[in-house]
Amino acid sequence: MQGDFYQLLKEQGYVFGTPGQVGVGQELTTATTILAFKYREGVLVAGDRRATAGNMVMYDRTDKVLEIDRYSVMAIAGVPATAYEMARILEHSFKYYRRTQLQELSFEGKLRALSKLLKENVPAALAGTGAVAPIFAGYDARYETAKIYFYDILGAEFEGVEYAVSGSGSSTIRGILHYLNTWGEQPLSTMPEEQATVQALRLLTSAAEFDSATGGVNREAGLYPVIKFITADGIRMMPDLQLQSLFESRVLRSA
Amino acid sequence: MYEEPYRWVEAVRNRRQYLDDQLKEGAPVVGIAYERGILLMTMSKGTPKLYEIYDRLALGGMGHPADLEKLRFNLLEMAHVEGFNRSASDVTGSRLVKYGIAPVIKQAFEEVFKAPFIVKILLAELGRKAEKDGFLTINYDGTFEEKTQYAVLAATSVVEQTMIGYLRQQSIVSLKDAVDVAIRTWAVGDRAQQLALEEGEDHDEARTGPDQQVIDAEILYAHLRRRIAEKTIECALLDRHVQGPSKYRALEADELRTMLPTDLSPSLA
Repeated sequence: MQGDFYQLLKEQGYVFGTPGQVGVGQELTTATTILAFKYREGVLVAGDRRATAGNMVMYDRTDKVLEIDRYSVMAIAGVPATAYEMARILEHSFKYYRRTQLQELSFEGKLRALSKLLKENVPAALAGTGAVAPIFAGYDARYETAKIYFYDILGAEFEGVEYAVSGSGSSTIRGILHYLNTWGEQPLSTMPEEQATVQALRLLTSAAEFDSATGGVNREAGLYPVIKFITADGIRMMPDLQLQSLFESRVLRSA
Repeated sequence: MYEEPYRWVEAVRNRRQYLDDQLKEGAPVVGIAYERGILLMTMSKGTPKLYEIYDRLALGGMGHPADLEKLRFNLLEMAHVEGFNRSASDVTGSRLVKYGIAPVIKQAFEEVFKAPFIVKILLAELGRKAEKDGFLTINYDGTFEEKTQYAVLAATSVVEQTMIGYLRQQSIVSLKDAVDVAIRTWAVGDRAQQLALEEGEDHDEARTGPDQQVIDAEILYAHLRRRIAEKTIECALLDRHVQGPSKYRALEADELRTMLPTDLSPSLA
């Protein structure tokens, strides 16, 4: 296959995702609530920033919404070691394809690339050392629209027509998303950017309320979720200062 | 027949002649550093001659398209495997050239029973800071040179010297300056190559010519207008201000049009 970076890596002796047995009492680092939904101008992707191992907080500044190239984002839930490695392979694969073939890899091609990596990772996922269930969102130049896909740990790919969620806190907010989108004041897909951001902040705060492995917002430490927007112009990140003011004015309930 | 040393030297000399002959009608390539990054410029007929190699590396080439393609793939493979296994900062032009393709080109050149690469290569590298911007040029025999500010490729080193001489007199700040100087420098080179061709092979490298010293911009634009009938201007940038790690972008026709004298722009297609 032409322009296949992953194949090239393997020819050079690279091995991805060796399965292993989990040691007894070994707690693996995992990472937590991610969501994506369509808003008026494109797709919003958000993720909290906590990484946990069992009931210990490993890190509170994780970035789980990873930019793979100028037009696609992978949000990760599961074992970060494996997820970061996947993101790294994808990033290089897309760049390599574009530079060798002198054209951008199609959006379908990008989805398939992630699916293939997840399939290769199945042994590790089943052994419990490398399960990853990501969301992949990006701008599809051919259809001139931003799209959302989510995956199970075996590599099956599903389109999130309106929204997608993943991670341990996702069950909490899935119901809210459904309710909001169906009976809320207006469907998510018609919301302008600011309103969509407020919803994302509220959703992640709810997830943190019921799931100890989700970080939510920590105002004392100035820690806010990562929120990114995908539109025809590419990817943009909402700055912390703006998140702070939206959080304080529209999410926080003052006594 | 090549076991005797002088035969081998003779064979290598023949090879140089052959390669010079193959390259004599190639389109020159110009690389110029400006305030925001690096501009690469050439004129091509159909097949592009400027390429993205890595986040901060761009390639310009002249010669046989198939040979250029082979070396381009070599560079791409090395750069991406290195960038993945180590980091993007470890992918440097100098390592790719010195330990990567220069030895390959040299070996092909000296193995007189096999075909050499019919290429000249210019690799531009965008530094973290402007003063670290640089160029590497590689000749068909594998010799390479490192340069700053500007670098060129042309059929012969005499033509290259003429182009460099012209570049030295220009001042370049903005992208518009860089584009304008680049196309004029290209015309200086292309014109010198044409003159050399017309004079015939008998005294090909003898001529530096007094008229090369001062060349009026109008003469150069007139030359460009003639050439542009069959070729298109190709420009690529390593732009420090592009968001994200990949700094390469092709200068699109619309943008280029705003930077050229109006009588040159219609031919951009």
